[in-house]
Amino acid sequence: MSFCSISFLLLFVTVFALYYFVAGGRRQWQNIVLLAAGYFLYGYADLKFLPLLFGITVVYFFLGKWMGKTANERTSRLLNVAGVVLGVGLLVYFKYLNFFIVSFAQLFGSMGLQVNVHTLNIIMPLGISFFVFRLISYVVDIHLQKTEATDDFLAFATYVSFFPCIMAGPIDRPGFMKQLQKGRDFDYDKVVDGCRQFLWGMLKKVAVADNIAGCVNNVWVNDTFHEPGGYLLVTALLYSFQMYMDFSGYSDMAIGVGKTLGLKVAKNFNYPFFAVNVADYWRRWHMSLTSWLTDYVFMPLNVKFRNMGQAGMILAIVINLVLVGMWHGDNWTYAVFGLYHGLLFIPLILSGAFFKKGKIKTGHLGLPCLKDAGRILLTFLLVTIGLVIFRADSVGRAFEYLASIFTNGVFSFSLEPKHWQCILCIFAVMCVEWKQRNRDHGLELSGIRSNVLKYAIYLAIVGFVLVTSTDASSFIYAQF
Amino acid sequence: MEKNQIMAEVQEIFRDVLDNEDIVLSNETVADDIEEWDSLTHIQLVVAVEKHFKIKFTSKEILMWKNVGEMIDCIAAK
Repeated sequence: MSFCSISFLLLFVTVFALYYFVAGGRRQWQNIVLLAAGYFLYGYADLKFLPLLFGITVVYFFLGKWMGKTANERTSRLLNVAGVVLGVGLLVYFKYLNFFIVSFAQLFGSMGLQVNVHTLNIIMPLGISFFVFRLISYVVDIHLQKTEATDDFLAFATYVSFFPCIMAGPIDRPGFMKQLQKGRDFDYDKVVDGCRQFLWGMLKKVAVADNIAGCVNNVWVNDTFHEPGGYLLVTALLYSFQMYMDFSGYSDMAIGVGKTLGLKVAKNFNYPFFAVNVADYWRRWHMSLTSWLTDYVFMPLNVKFRNMGQAGMILAIVINLVLVGMWHGDNWTYAVFGLYHGLLFIPLILSGAFFKKGKIKTGHLGLPCLKDAGRILLTFLLVTIGLVIFRADSVGRAFEYLASIFTNGVFSFSLEPKHWQCILCIFAVMCVEWKQRNRDHGLELSGIRSNVLKYAIYLAIVGFVLVTSTDASSFIYAQF
Repeated sequence: MEKNQIMAEVQEIFRDVLDNEDIVLSNETVADDIEEWDSLTHIQLVVAVEKHFKIKFTSKEILMWKNVGEMIDCIAAK
């Protein structure tokens, strides 16, 4: 059920009414409403995975309780390892098992050893990468005494299956449960701001990302890239914006729904295309995943490798980013995508730029100074190359695409009106986001006092979304 | 060694590693209080503290600290 569908709107209105006007400020009833909505949404997508979601929630709840009760360090460590292995095992089984089987068969085949392999008929449960990460962080945080084991199963199950986030994140941490342990009263300002953020996300998804998809998919369906190089270059740039508009649009909508229910969902994007280098980009892109991996993979590795100096840090970052890539699915393109980004960090670590978090200097008209504009552009181009690898079916296809940009004439353009329409929409959204870059989202209108102007903006966006909407497509990240 | 003295020496390490002479530490200081202190500089701080006091922390100890006070307690216990 897409956020942009009438059915989701109906679900949301029902949840909202029950949550505030039936459950009132009683937290248990409010949590029951949220849990029911989460399980309904999950079951609506695929009923057969509901028992898995419920079962794994029960297992981690009791694992957490056991860890909370034990005073024995060794027992706590064993339970922590069990929790991590179970979570990773589920991911490996559902996401990567067939990939490993095929990869090993190919490896043996390349050595002249013919191996008869049978792949398994495994269907990946929706959102598994997201809720498993929530569960793993729960047991690890208990082990590290960063959170306490909860006795409130309802709050725990609601945290795991919070309905706006269950399919594609953001990945909240166990701290989210604190919000579920008290009643939430109707807060007009939060509800209005949540609706605005939802609307902004819908604009990015429906009016921009879905329209770009038409331009991008036409190129990638072909067996060979026969289009002019300039056309391929523009398509690659458009795909970067499609990814951003799609996923940040989804995230804005999920966070917006959370706000309307008085719940703060983890931030997922902080205007990543204004990043001045790749390290800065990764601090701003899919933040809930990257911060998760930073805390639970990069930091432990970095601690382990701490006496190796810069080499240790580089190794930890490369491993971390390869895992970021692999998290997306069972294709070597994702691993190469992560490795590519990991390698881009090396010059930043060696030069020390990695550690600097300077603000962008702006000049006349609030635009970035020439030096920062150049750095932003370079970062965007490097990210675009990475996303070509990400988008391709195979690493070979990615290189073929990149080579075709130059061999087919990089200055040769023949753009169609739909391209210009997309470029115009992207330009408008990015201008608004540049202006709003120190705020939570593009439609935070706290600086505007005139209600007439506010409603005119809402109406204009709704109208624009309706006019530009194409056939509803699913969110890209829902497949991960 | 007294905890006050450890705190003073750790403060000097923080100022040196994070290149900020204005840093004043207390037991309650956390990473959010100091702009330059993030997950990356944290490791540099740990290595500098280990070298200075000639001690070795375990991975779990490093990952568990919630504030400067817990780090000081850990150094004092070594």
